[in-house]
Amino acid sequence: MGASASQPGPDILRGTLDLLILKALSWGPAHGYGVARWIQQATHDALAVGEGTLYPALHRLEERGWVAANWGSSENNRQAKFYALTRKGRAQLRTETDNWRRYAAAIFAALDAPAHE
Amino acid sequence: MARLTRFRQMFGLEPRRDVDAELAFHIEMRVRELIDGGETPERARHLALQRFGNYDQARRECVAINERRRRRMVRADFFAELRQDIGYAFRMMRRAPAFTLAALVTLALGIGANSAIFSVVNGVLLESLPYRDAGRLHVLQMRYPDGARYFSLSAPDFMSIRAETHVFERVEASNGALVTVTGIGDPREINASFVTHGMFEALGLRVALGRTFSAEENLPGRGNVAILSHGLWQNVFGGDPSVLGRTITASGRVSTIVGVASPEATMPDDATEAFFPLTMDQAFDAATMQGRRNEFLRVIARARDGLGDAEIAGDLARLAARLETAFPETNGGLGFTSVPLRESIVGDVKKPLLVLLGAVGFVLLVACANVANLLLARGSARHGELSVRAALGAGRARLIRQLITESLLLGTIGGVIGLALAYWSTQALVAARPADLPRLDAIGVDGTVIVFTLAAALGTGLVFGLVPAMQATNADLLRGLQESGRSGGGGRRMHRMRSALVVAELALAVVLLTGAGLLIRSFLALTDVNPGFQPGGAMAFRVSFQGPDYQNGDQVRTRVDQLFDRLRGLPGVTAVGATTVLPLGGGGAMLDFAVEGAPPPPPDVNQEIAVASVTPEYFTAIGTPLKRGRFFSNLDHAKAPRVALLNEAAARKWFPNQDPVGRTVLSGGPQTVVGIVGDVLQRNPGQPAIAQMFVPHQQRTNRTIRIVVRANGDPLALAPSVREQIRALDPSLPVAQVMPLEEMVRRSVARPRFYTSLLTLFAAVALVLSATGIFGVMSYSVAQQSKEIGIRIALGARSIDVLRSVVGRAVGLAAVGVLVGVTASFALGGILRSQLFGVTIFDPPTLATVMAVLLGCAFVASLLPAARAARIDPITTFKQT
Repeated sequence: MGASASQPGPDILRGTLDLLILKALSWGPAHGYGVARWIQQATHDALAVGEGTLYPALHRLEERGWVAANWGSSENNRQAKFYALTRKGRAQLRTETDNWRRYAAAIFAALDAPAHE
Repeated sequence: MARLTRFRQMFGLEPRRDVDAELAFHIEMRVRELIDGGETPERARHLALQRFGNYDQARRECVAINERRRRRMVRADFFAELRQDIGYAFRMMRRAPAFTLAALVTLALGIGANSAIFSVVNGVLLESLPYRDAGRLHVLQMRYPDGARYFSLSAPDFMSIRAETHVFERVEASNGALVTVTGIGDPREINASFVTHGMFEALGLRVALGRTFSAEENLPGRGNVAILSHGLWQNVFGGDPSVLGRTITASGRVSTIVGVASPEATMPDDATEAFFPLTMDQAFDAATMQGRRNEFLRVIARARDGLGDAEIAGDLARLAARLETAFPETNGGLGFTSVPLRESIVGDVKKPLLVLLGAVGFVLLVACANVANLLLARGSARHGELSVRAALGAGRARLIRQLITESLLLGTIGGVIGLALAYWSTQALVAARPADLPRLDAIGVDGTVIVFTLAAALGTGLVFGLVPAMQATNADLLRGLQESGRSGGGGRRMHRMRSALVVAELALAVVLLTGAGLLIRSFLALTDVNPGFQPGGAMAFRVSFQGPDYQNGDQVRTRVDQLFDRLRGLPGVTAVGATTVLPLGGGGAMLDFAVEGAPPPPPDVNQEIAVASVTPEYFTAIGTPLKRGRFFSNLDHAKAPRVALLNEAAARKWFPNQDPVGRTVLSGGPQTVVGIVGDVLQRNPGQPAIAQMFVPHQQRTNRTIRIVVRANGDPLALAPSVREQIRALDPSLPVAQVMPLEEMVRRSVARPRFYTSLLTLFAAVALVLSATGIFGVMSYSVAQQSKEIGIRIALGARSIDVLRSVVGRAVGLAAVGVLVGVTASFALGGILRSQLFGVTIFDPPTLATVMAVLLGCAFVASLLPAARAARIDPITTFKQT
């Protein structure tokens, strides 16, 4: 995932985008635009995802077998490529969520810690 | 294909188009949303793209990822299918054991024979000689004005070339001799090489122990040192590492052992058992005229890197011209030539070996045709199965791939069995030491042979598999499902193809049989040549008189007389004689020759005669008749007038229509011709006798003689008592090469015998394979036409008519094969010409025999199918349909 040369939005950490995509798909299959919309809303637009970087990330997740893609009809009856979490992807989401929580907790703990003695 | 198809369904046809559609959908959705939010279409589009970021890069990355996935899947699919195909092929092979066995035996024989012959060719002709940069090593030879070549150079010529060459970085000489080693167990004769000290460096020979020679050791009186070959060290000194510093007594000369050669360090003659420094006395003088026509050195030169043959030839021509100017009396008209070392070792076996390789290749082609035929027959049996697969969606390419996989698998298994056969047969071949092939020990199954076998196996699989695979999957396949009860739609065409294959097989067999036939006829002609002596009832051995007891000729002569007295006393012995050169052992020393009173030869003709020394009873012992005059007697002793005998070839050459008896000839001195003896074979039966002169051993005594004992009964039974008598006389005399004369005759044709037996074997294999080919085709066609035949029988055809028609068709096929094969034999016959003796390529008896054998084979092979056809019961046949 880190091989991407595109710049994720200024506030997106490496690897975070994958986690957000997996989370977005955990609510059910969606096309790329849907994923972008969900991230936008869920983060209150705080994370400016360069939408272009979303697609290589999606394809890489597909290559890893975490999501599966299929062409289907969109809500306005257009052909769109829908992504769905696979069983492997669901497990990955759980692991990464746990990792992220532990990581964030550790950073918060550090940020709130008193001065060095 | 399954996974790839699924992939296509997911992506559409093209990953690129797929990505474009996906990205376009995104932009379009965003634009619509922005327009719904009140933006103008142009601005909405602008904003959407801005939000998207680097469109091209995203697209590129997506395409790259998808391409990568696709390639991976294609590969995985390929291997999955291959596994599936191989598994399937194994099942098919198990299901048809008779077919599988027939195909594998055929292939294993064909490929195994090829591997075996290839390992001989590889070892003898291809593998590098065991010398450093062997490609740069050359043997230097003399070329006389009449074109004759001498393998040796004289010492002054050698020194001149060594000093003045521009193309060789090293020029080294050796002189081989038999020496008698005494003081260690029984006296024994060994092959010694007397070498210039640089020989080791020039060839890249290494010592396992000690050192090589120094330049000083080539000086007169300084050379009492020796280097043992690894073999001699092992056999005589038991591999004792403390051998350095000990002495070895060779022909009375005591030398200190200073080194032991490493196991692979051998001279090109491959026989050297000990090395001694060549004594470079005053004869080795580049400035002298003395001794320039006394050639006794074998000269090996290492060319500078990157020089071509033309440059080497040019330099040698320049040197020859220089010497001709400086020494016109000795070097007028003489030239030097260089022969690559490999050529000098394997030159005369190269062509026959390549012919054998070609012949064995033909055998493989016959095997291919045979297996292709089997596959064609099976193709029709599998018609139904393939049709089902085709109906279930397997494409033609997929089915061909499946069938080719099967034939490649057959080829590979056949190749592995063949490799095992080759391994055993080459070991047996080397152990049998046929025909003193050079470099025999380099023969064996090695990496190159394995690669060759693998390539042959896969190539074979492709060759015999492709046509049947195309045939079995032709356009009728889909229709085949409805027809599966009947014979396949392509039956007639298939039958034609199978007949063509059989004709090809037969033609190849004819070529091989013709070649074998010609070689057999040549071999018979060779063994039929009158040897000029009577090999039966006589045996020969070699004795050398060396050491302190044999300082002069008188001592040797006395001892020979004593020995003869003892040998004549043995029971059954009828004659005892000695010579320096036995029949089939060469002609003898080449000496200048002139007839007194005859005009001298032109200056550019080197008039020579082969000279051997013989004792009075020698010709009686070998059984060669006197044609004129008298044999030698005991009165022709050392102090008597010099006399000589000539062979008939010499009499014809120098005394046409004259009587030589009583005339004087000059060769090292005047001698009177007292008689003419019959010609004997000198090298092998294929070469006519050259002019030979015999002088009494009493008058020209040699230390090494070959004694012939003729006796009633088995001559070899005498060997123990002969040895006993010699030991009783002088225990230090080494006896070597004890052999019946018949064995020598047998050995002189060992190489033709070797080539002939192999080619005959190949031809026999080809014949058997083609006979089974005919049998297969006829059986198949009878099975195919059983209904037709049944109708004919029902309509009143007699069994004999049916029989005749089937046999007639087989013989007809064979006749076409014979015609093609005979034509091909004429075209290819030239290759064999140099191996032939006493027959021409167009040899009616051979051709007639080959034709008869082939047609007879076809006749016999078709009898069984014909009988089956004649027994067809029309009622049963009709019931089956």
